[in-house]
Amino acid sequence: MKRKYILNIPILLALLLLLNACEEEKYAIPTTKDALQNDVIKRSLGPNLVGQNIEFTYAMALPETRGKLESAQVEASIEGATGTYLENNSYSAGSNGADVGVKIGEPSVTEGKITKVTFSADTMAATLRYFYRIPEAARGQSVTFKFTANSSNGETVSYSMGPYNISKMDMKLDLAVKDGDAAYISIEDMAVYNAAAAEANAGKIDLVYLHRTTPTSFAHALVAPATDAQYRPGITLPAGVNRNTKINKVWALRDQQLARAQFGVFIDDLDFQQLNIADAPNFALNMRAESGIWVETADGKYRAYVYVNSINNTAKSAVISIKRFTL
Amino acid sequence: MKKYIKILFICLLVPFVWIGCKEDFPIDEDGLLITNRGQCYVSNFELLGSDFQTVRSKNAVIDTVAQTIRVEVFFGTDLKNLYPQFSLVTDAKLDPKITGKVDFSDLNSPKVYTVVSGNRKVRKPYTVYVTVQQ
Repeated sequence: MKRKYILNIPILLALLLLLNACEEEKYAIPTTKDALQNDVIKRSLGPNLVGQNIEFTYAMALPETRGKLESAQVEASIEGATGTYLENNSYSAGSNGADVGVKIGEPSVTEGKITKVTFSADTMAATLRYFYRIPEAARGQSVTFKFTANSSNGETVSYSMGPYNISKMDMKLDLAVKDGDAAYISIEDMAVYNAAAAEANAGKIDLVYLHRTTPTSFAHALVAPATDAQYRPGITLPAGVNRNTKINKVWALRDQQLARAQFGVFIDDLDFQQLNIADAPNFALNMRAESGIWVETADGKYRAYVYVNSINNTAKSAVISIKRFTL
Repeated sequence: MKKYIKILFICLLVPFVWIGCKEDFPIDEDGLLITNRGQCYVSNFELLGSDFQTVRSKNAVIDTVAQTIRVEVFFGTDLKNLYPQFSLVTDAKLDPKITGKVDFSDLNSPKVYTVVSGNRKVRKPYTVYVTVQQ
């Protein structure tokens, strides 16, 4: 008798579950909030470097009954550099995934910390992009943003973003180096010099680029001027070029900002702060495309990562990009 | 009924005792099993640079009779910062242990690594001779 009851209970429970599972859930269109609303996402990734953009997308919308959009503005805690703007086109993705822009007003006006767009189109929804060009004044500091939208019936909404730390790093992209010509690299200037210019800037030359075909494993090389003569064969250094740079070879560290490839790898301030290449040599031979070197200058003032974007064996040249951190 | 339970209990107990009394392989100071294997040799040798790429210009020559490893590295290899990798016969271990970068720059006094067999009774020192490709 008892056992019978016990058996019945799970069956009843199972039935209940089955019934529940089979019930069709009806979809209901969500009801719109009767107010002006906004939302922000940050589009750019990685460390925020001076001279580069931080990119946001600012979306705002309101119900038809509550008027139309009047203006949108962004206030940055530190005034953006020239090139800071809020898009006057509202973007959405087309059927092929490409951005489709609709003009909603005149180009944005930046006054001090505030960048503003006034709507001329009669619209109740828009998605505007905001590009904040990081100024020199923000280096090593953090910056916050306040996005604000206004509607024609006087409603205002805001959305705060940040704080975002601005990196102390500098970056220089696509410097062309050539064996026997533009071969002298200065980390301090983040520039490449030929022999004559190198002599004029002798105290700043940290690396020498060269290409040799023998031995075969020599190929593209980045060496310190003070390296052993066997690692810079056939090179007569310009007068005064004699710094001893520490060089540590790295493979497959493809920083996204330097390589601009698909790899989501970023070198940040912390990497330079924690870098320890005290026992590194002063030469790196057989550099290949997508390889790189960690560098510490002789005066201990700078640490850098030099990335080899591409190499050309016939022209004996290469294209390099540099990220530099001041200690 | 009680009798059956007793028999069952004894039947279960016997294998436990039997397993319990079987001798385990002893463990050495590194927590590794000391086995019965007496083989003692290096089967493969690799040298990696600071970028974790090989610096060998060709395969390392391992002489298990003379107990030497001869490896030629590329011109321009940073000999002070190399990661050696030994492949050993089953159960063997290496002494000294490799814990990080090794300085091979003193070519005149080559490094010696001792292979210790699985039973920890055979010890064979292997000398690593590094030459630089010219």
